[in-house]
Amino acid sequence: MTSSDARGAARRALRAGRVLTGLGLLAVAAAYVRAIAFTDIEAVQGPAQKIMYVHVPSAWCAFLAFGLVGICSGLFLWLGDRRLDTFSEASAEVGVVLTGLVLITGPMWGKPIWGTWWQWEPRLTSTLFLFFLFVGYLTLRRTMFDPAERARYSAVVGILGAMLVPFIHLSVYMFRTIHPRPVVLNPEGPTMPGSFVATLLSSLAAFTLLYLGLVTMRYGLGRLRELREARHVPAA
Amino acid sequence: MFLLREPPANGGFMIAAYTVVAVVLAGYSVMLMVRARKEEKREQ
Repeated sequence: MTSSDARGAARRALRAGRVLTGLGLLAVAAAYVRAIAFTDIEAVQGPAQKIMYVHVPSAWCAFLAFGLVGICSGLFLWLGDRRLDTFSEASAEVGVVLTGLVLITGPMWGKPIWGTWWQWEPRLTSTLFLFFLFVGYLTLRRTMFDPAERARYSAVVGILGAMLVPFIHLSVYMFRTIHPRPVVLNPEGPTMPGSFVATLLSSLAAFTLLYLGLVTMRYGLGRLRELREARHVPAA
Repeated sequence: MFLLREPPANGGFMIAAYTVVAVVLAGYSVMLMVRARKEEKREQ
């Protein structure tokens, strides 16, 4: 692929990312309307239960983002394609934003329901570690100037970070914890009324669309920057 | 006999959580769009 082909592909990714992000934001707005105005208030937890419709999709997309970082990092180490490294960086950045939302909305639900903002229990603590680990991953990338070395080291950290994701999902089964078990992805099937599940699934779809838009736009941005920097590096 | 009661009044937490999520997601989207626009201008 020539340099101008690569720049054309990056610009196309940016355009696609903008469109998908716009659609994703509209879908999230529609999911808000459905959750707030057209979904019943849960009798025991009250309106605070509706925080689940933004907390769970944020967590799902964050885990998807970090899972893809792990997969693309592994593929990068195998194939050596720089685009996989750029995608990993894009997905990690979006994942950190989403994990931040998980860590903010979780305590907002915990305070009225548990009576406390935070508990040092396995699910919460390991999610906090995951957040710090990927903040470290992004920091590492900014402190290394050799692109090949940066990509290689980041790939190793990305794979190790992604390995935390299944552990976090299963932590509610492995340890005694006050965090609720998964309400949809659990062996006994959904543990909520059908209308609640439908709202949660529509919110999941909206957040996933927004994640796809953000990661595509961030990937296009990363590729354009890389190609510009490559033009200014003198040949060895 | 069923005991009916009002759900707890904790809507403030829900509004706060939804507001934070909306502000962060919209803010990050706009920030990415601005960064992309700047990068495209540098390219030209």
